[in-house]
Amino acid sequence: MIKQAANSNRPDDATRVPGQGSAEHVDFVTMTIENQLFGIPVLQVQDVLGTQRITRIPLAPPEVAGSLNLRGRIVTAVDVRKRLGLVPRPKSDRDMSIVVDHGGELYSLMVDSVGEVLSVPAATYERNPATLDPIWKSVSTGIYRLQGKLLVVLDVNRLLDFTQDLAAA
Amino acid sequence: MDDLLSEFLTETAENLSVLDVELVRLEQNPNDPNLLGNIFRLVHTIKGTCGFLGLPRLEAVAHAAENVLGKFRDGELEVTPHAVTLILQSLDRIKEIVAVLEATEAEPEGDDAELIAALDAMAEGRAVEPPAATAPAVAAEPDQAPVGGDAADPLFQIERPLKADEVSLEDLEAAFRAAPGPDQAASAPETRPADSAEDEATASTPATPTDAERQNASVRSEELGDTKESAVASQSIRVNVDLLENLMTTVSELVLTRNQLLQILRSQKDSEFSAPLQRLNHVTSELQEGVMKTRMQPIGNAWAKLPRIIRDLSNELGKKIDLQMVGADTELDRQVLDLIKDPLTHMVRNSADHGIELPSDRAMMGKPEHGTIRLNAFHEGGHIIIEIADDGRGLPTEKIRRKVLEQGLATEAELAGMSDQQIQHFVFKPGFSTAAKVTNVSGRGVGMDVVRTNIEKIGGTIDLTSTEGRGSVFTIKIPLTLAIVSALVVESAGERFAIPQISVVELVRAGGQSEHAVERINGTPVLRLRDRLLPLVSLRKLLKIESADEAESQVGGDRSDSFIVVTQVGSYTFGILVDRVFDTEEIVVKPVAPILRHIEMFSGNTILGDGSVIMILDPNGIASATGEITLGDDLANQEAKQQRAQVGDQVSMLLFRAGSGAPKAVPLALIARLEDIDVSTIEASDQDMVVQYRGRLMPLIPFDHGFYLPEVPEGETARKPVLVFADNDRSMGLIVDEIVDIVETELKVEMAAERPGLLGSAVIAGKATDVIDAGHYLTQAYHDWFGRAKETFEEDDAIEALKRVLLVDDSPFFRNMLTPLLKIAGYDVHTVDSASEALSLCEAGERFDVIVSDIEMPGMNGFDFAEKVKTDGPWQDTPMVALSSFSSQRDLERGRAAGFTDYVAKFDRDALLNTLSHTLADERGAA
Repeated sequence: MIKQAANSNRPDDATRVPGQGSAEHVDFVTMTIENQLFGIPVLQVQDVLGTQRITRIPLAPPEVAGSLNLRGRIVTAVDVRKRLGLVPRPKSDRDMSIVVDHGGELYSLMVDSVGEVLSVPAATYERNPATLDPIWKSVSTGIYRLQGKLLVVLDVNRLLDFTQDLAAA
Repeated sequence: MDDLLSEFLTETAENLSVLDVELVRLEQNPNDPNLLGNIFRLVHTIKGTCGFLGLPRLEAVAHAAENVLGKFRDGELEVTPHAVTLILQSLDRIKEIVAVLEATEAEPEGDDAELIAALDAMAEGRAVEPPAATAPAVAAEPDQAPVGGDAADPLFQIERPLKADEVSLEDLEAAFRAAPGPDQAASAPETRPADSAEDEATASTPATPTDAERQNASVRSEELGDTKESAVASQSIRVNVDLLENLMTTVSELVLTRNQLLQILRSQKDSEFSAPLQRLNHVTSELQEGVMKTRMQPIGNAWAKLPRIIRDLSNELGKKIDLQMVGADTELDRQVLDLIKDPLTHMVRNSADHGIELPSDRAMMGKPEHGTIRLNAFHEGGHIIIEIADDGRGLPTEKIRRKVLEQGLATEAELAGMSDQQIQHFVFKPGFSTAAKVTNVSGRGVGMDVVRTNIEKIGGTIDLTSTEGRGSVFTIKIPLTLAIVSALVVESAGERFAIPQISVVELVRAGGQSEHAVERINGTPVLRLRDRLLPLVSLRKLLKIESADEAESQVGGDRSDSFIVVTQVGSYTFGILVDRVFDTEEIVVKPVAPILRHIEMFSGNTILGDGSVIMILDPNGIASATGEITLGDDLANQEAKQQRAQVGDQVSMLLFRAGSGAPKAVPLALIARLEDIDVSTIEASDQDMVVQYRGRLMPLIPFDHGFYLPEVPEGETARKPVLVFADNDRSMGLIVDEIVDIVETELKVEMAAERPGLLGSAVIAGKATDVIDAGHYLTQAYHDWFGRAKETFEEDDAIEALKRVLLVDDSPFFRNMLTPLLKIAGYDVHTVDSASEALSLCEAGERFDVIVSDIEMPGMNGFDFAEKVKTDGPWQDTPMVALSSFSSQRDLERGRAAGFTDYVAKFDRDALLNTLSHTLADERGAA
């Protein structure tokens, strides 16, 4: 729904890469983890889900929370908190997920909550600060300065490629 | 109708309709080489198939047409409307013949001489005037071909010299007579067969349908009217495979949804949906079946190429090979079929190249010159089994062993512990080829591993058994279809998993009220299952899904009851311990996400009827993760060893209790007497216990090291059972707690023991029993119990494997007596009851360190046996010891002459052991 809404509003944004856009605004689906605002380019988002029943996958990398059934498709759930090296949330708290497509496979990114679609001015883009945590730096393509808060842009491809980190660890 | 014929008809009908269109296009673009090439190919295909099916008329017409097309293609002839018309005419003729063929399954009689002549004339470049009636109107008329021939034909006959492979003059004459006049020609084509049949002179077609049939044919053809479309062709259509694949996927999803609905229904009794859902259920099942059927093809399709391959190979390699194919009509999913086509071809090639020997070699080995490769396919419980057997030379275990060492795939020590079967399984390792030289055919080392990978990719398994010199049998087990598999849903630590039914042999409930109980050896769970010990794998441990709180509750021991899924991978059988077993479900296997592919325990995942995602366990992965890296396995290995050791010998075992733990057993043959000794009579001598026994001192050894003489209260007597071992004038007693029973059993030591004094565990009388190593206790009493034999042996014990002794003796008594003796002396004993059996072992590739043979045997006696062995063959250098009740000097000399290294009197056990150790020591010295 979100995707469609965004598309109908601003079809031009379709081809734009965040941070390099020539137009004035870039659209992001926003979400929060541990009160930090994150954004994923709106066109990469397939779906937004509430709390799901997730099947644990034994022996899987720790970041993989399990898999779930999204209308007949099997989606691999990734715990973004763990991926970012944050402490896990209490189990009782409800979480939300953003479903993204990566190489033809669907992945559900588990976050604390999913916000609205934000259209942010391209001019407010900044590179990652050099002092940012290496893990964060490796999965973020940059920062947008918003009013009163900062939006960290997540790179889905890098977020889901944790094999390198594993190998390094 | 014959399958082949109907396929031909379908294909030809298609080709013809394509040809019609293409020819017309050709007329418009006469210089399009692609178009020409395509047309030529199509006509050529028709011709080729006709020749193959024995349809001379069709073949002749197609051949002539092809000639003309060939000239077109090579640019020797210009494409003119007239030429195209002529070709179209021949196509019409072909259609016409095909129509009759379809109705009667035989070519109609008739003659195409003029048409062929016209085509040939065209091919030869003679400008032939279009036959009088070749106006477009006539071209549309199916049977116009001979029309107008009257004028042209005589001309052809005179001018054209008869080509060798063309129609003879007589045929031509007959053709003229048979040729319908213009009037007849105007009538429907289907009347022709009847017409021509009237003319007896033309009866030259091989198949002559009866009049009735012909009449029928005419009638049926008339019913068809002028339609050129073949009825067979219209009954089957060709569908793009992708379309079928999509259909299959959709049906798979439908099946899943159906399952979900049924699940919901189960929880809601008396729902108004129940009736329509039942209906939906049935329809879905039928649909699934129907769609599956569209994908089913006989396996013969994958075999079709093989006879040709074998024929060519036979010529190339100078071998004589018979290819037998059984069960070619066994159907399986086309996707599976496609995937096994190449592996199968590869394996058959392999059999022909490596397996089957040259005729001369075969003759030398006393086999028929013709080698046989036998393919056998059959259904077995939702799977297809394909066997590829050859009677060739089998897999050379020694060669493989060397190669394995060379390539560093395993160490010598590892190899020493492997059965022949396990070693043979190395052919499935990547980069492995034992072919001495790379031939055109195979030996490039990219063979069996690819075969195995491909087969495992589709959820199949491959196994092999091979006897050197006798041939090999490869057995492939594959699922009927890949899209939907039936799987057993199990639960462990609250998580559910699916196990493909193909690997599940049976389910066993353990613990609680059940007769089966999980036993532990040093914490490793095992299960006694029908006289075998089954290694168990705990799914919790394997998948590390034991959460902390659960682990705590587990400390006290196992759950009171659990289920064991007995699983088989190749020849390795093991049990998977799970908490619960649900029912089986049809599941659609979906690949796991790429980031999870490295977990080899899972072969995929799926969505269950209740909508939850579930991981599918991969038994192959579990097997290799639990230590079975090679396909062969411990049990198979041990079984093979045992089979080698004693060919189904029943051994009397004495069962007793001593110390703690499992009951103990010892071969009865070793025990001289059972005594009940009063504890008070036991005396101590130099720290050892002795008892006065038959006027001598007999050392007593307690079974338990911690054994101490019980305090016997005054006035009471305590007695202890003692097993007395005696040899000549020496004897010793083994103190045990209780003698339980004597049972006749097949001694199969299933698990080797770590502890000295135990040979290992075996299932005896339905219980896991420790088989004691009597030798251990005997040497405790007398260190030189076995004399120098034992000493020599012990020196090398650490570095050398058991020496293998072959005992050839026709008397079961001696075999029984000597086997335990030799075994206890540290030899691996194999017994056979005749020389010929021994020789067949030799042929089968068995190797021994020393052969002990009786002399007087029915059939081949010991001398002849020795001569035969020593003449040539792999046992040439194996030392032989003769065993005979006659031990005169003359016998001794005769024995040596025959090739025996030494000669021992039958009843002299010490002498035998001494001789053996000397002989082996000499061998080592010489080596």
